[in-house]
Amino acid sequence: MLQKATFTLADGATLDDLVKRDTNEVMLRVMSDEELYKLEMERIFAKTWLLLAHDTEIPKAGDFVVRDMGEDQVIVTRDRNDEIHVSLNVCPHRGMKVCTAEAGNAHAHRCIYHGWAFRPDGSFIGAPVEKEQMHGNRLGKDQLGLKKARVQVYGGLIFATWDIEGPSFDEYLGDMKYYLDQLFCRTDSGLEMLGPPQRFVLPCNWKIPGEQSGSDGFHTLTLHRSLMEGGVMGGTAESIYDNAPGMYGVDVSCEQGHSLRCLEAAQTFKMFSDISFEGKSVEERLAMLPPPGITKELIPQLFKNLSADQVEQLATIPPQVGGLFPNILVAFIFAPRTDGGSSGALALHTYVPRGPDKVEFINFIFAEKDAPEQVKRDMLQNSIQQTGTSGIIEQDDADTWPQIMRNARGVVSKDITLKYQALHGHERPEGWKGGGLLYPGFTKDDTQWNWWMAYYNLMAEA
Amino acid sequence: MVNYATAAVEKAGVMRGLVSTNRVPLGSEIYNRLLETLYDEAAALDERRFDDWVAMLEEDLLYTAPVRLTRNGPNKDRDVMRTMMHFDDNYSSILMRTGRLSKSAWAEDPPSRTRRFVTNTRVAECETAGEYEVSSYLYVERSRFDVAHNETLSAERRDIWRLVGDAYKLARREIIVDQSTLGMSNLAIFL
Repeated sequence: MLQKATFTLADGATLDDLVKRDTNEVMLRVMSDEELYKLEMERIFAKTWLLLAHDTEIPKAGDFVVRDMGEDQVIVTRDRNDEIHVSLNVCPHRGMKVCTAEAGNAHAHRCIYHGWAFRPDGSFIGAPVEKEQMHGNRLGKDQLGLKKARVQVYGGLIFATWDIEGPSFDEYLGDMKYYLDQLFCRTDSGLEMLGPPQRFVLPCNWKIPGEQSGSDGFHTLTLHRSLMEGGVMGGTAESIYDNAPGMYGVDVSCEQGHSLRCLEAAQTFKMFSDISFEGKSVEERLAMLPPPGITKELIPQLFKNLSADQVEQLATIPPQVGGLFPNILVAFIFAPRTDGGSSGALALHTYVPRGPDKVEFINFIFAEKDAPEQVKRDMLQNSIQQTGTSGIIEQDDADTWPQIMRNARGVVSKDITLKYQALHGHERPEGWKGGGLLYPGFTKDDTQWNWWMAYYNLMAEA
Repeated sequence: MVNYATAAVEKAGVMRGLVSTNRVPLGSEIYNRLLETLYDEAAALDERRFDDWVAMLEEDLLYTAPVRLTRNGPNKDRDVMRTMMHFDDNYSSILMRTGRLSKSAWAEDPPSRTRRFVTNTRVAECETAGEYEVSSYLYVERSRFDVAHNETLSAERRDIWRLVGDAYKLARREIIVDQSTLGMSNLAIFL
């Protein structure tokens, strides 16, 4: 491990005290410390790549949505040349929000305070009373535009970073791209966001949902016990700890802190039906239990857009849940409908910091763009019923995190450590085609520890 | 699906009250019985008598809560986004939800203490005989654990109640919440 320059908090605590690399522990105080929060905004949210939107939200020239990078608000726009821009929603004149709506269409954004106007690409158009030079004479117009972030679109997902010269998006994704392609880049037209995201605010620090998104599989058994009671995870309420097929698979991770839980389709299939996967070809398996969101008609597109190895994985042991560092949850889950059918849920969340003790949970819901309207309707309903504001799975998560937050404030309990000591070590399953750090078998803490190591590495960089 | 960023002018996104002009006047027998039904429903939910609540629901129930979106300019009134919802339920999914609440639903175990305040109730006759549009304001106070601060939510409910035998049953409910970013940390309660 590299030795890096780090920081010391006012009471003398160092990064190595907070994230104990020798014993795989993290002090609970990291979930409430205000000083640390300020450093996170600088060293993580003003630096790394962040997910803001999806390109299907802004299909036409002038379309925009307003989102946040940490506590900095930005306008995500599409210009006349079909290029996507991310600009700080702060007027360089007096600091007013340039755009007061959450979404819309505008070919010029005019600040309602003094009337300075900007193009969708963030450049300055002008201020009122041009002849009197209301915009001043010290700076050229080319210096009066909105501050711009660096943008990358991947699988329709719009990411941005303030680190203009920093690591590329490919470096940020690392070995996870192979697996993420299976979710985001698998059909000709890709994914479509089905409507504006659900947004709600929880009283907890962003890292509580953040670290859980690092593929915490353990909490499924207990916190999401109702899934077993409903028969969704295989096994029953009585046999939760003896027979929980949903707990076994291959967790994939990487040093950038991203992770995905890959669960065997054969086991998932058994939850729906007694028919065996044995001896079935990739095509037959996909036809029997297509990945969530994929209809039988879309299966040929998988072979077109993905490598044979990627399709084989999707048919055998597809990635289902996980996260991208620092604040994204991926939930592409097989989920039965209440009418007995199986469609699934396609959702992504971002956990946007709103101060050391608040987080905004943004739930983006998707379907494949080329899926029939009825399938989109089913996906929407299923995703809403499982995830987000009223989702029966995530209701339980949202009720747990604030209580961890509350404990993180206690003068005694703040020094309790979070234990990430159920470590397996990475090990390549035979015949596995993808890269990254691989953890086969029963889910463990490794991927979450990798999340904390990514946190450590960014926080150590001044 | 209509894209919400550029959606053309459409009445559906505009906040509006009753559709029917055949008003049922305040104080009339039908009005009073519907108001009584809303109060009974609020009590059943606040007292967590979910079987009693389900008995008030029709099997063709549609129960939805569209998201709100802060918009400006020419679209400023079209802020009810029915392409995305906080609730998107029918009778069977409501049974799934109430069934879950009787087991390991930690989001409501220990349960919230709630008060649903139902006011500004307006009633009109639908075209179908025996069906009534009922628009009301809803204010919910929700207490969790030993937290001294309540979470609150305000909304308008647009219901259709149907006379079945001698009782009114809920056939449609659309919950128009007022916040675009909800301050309630989950919707494990019904609205």
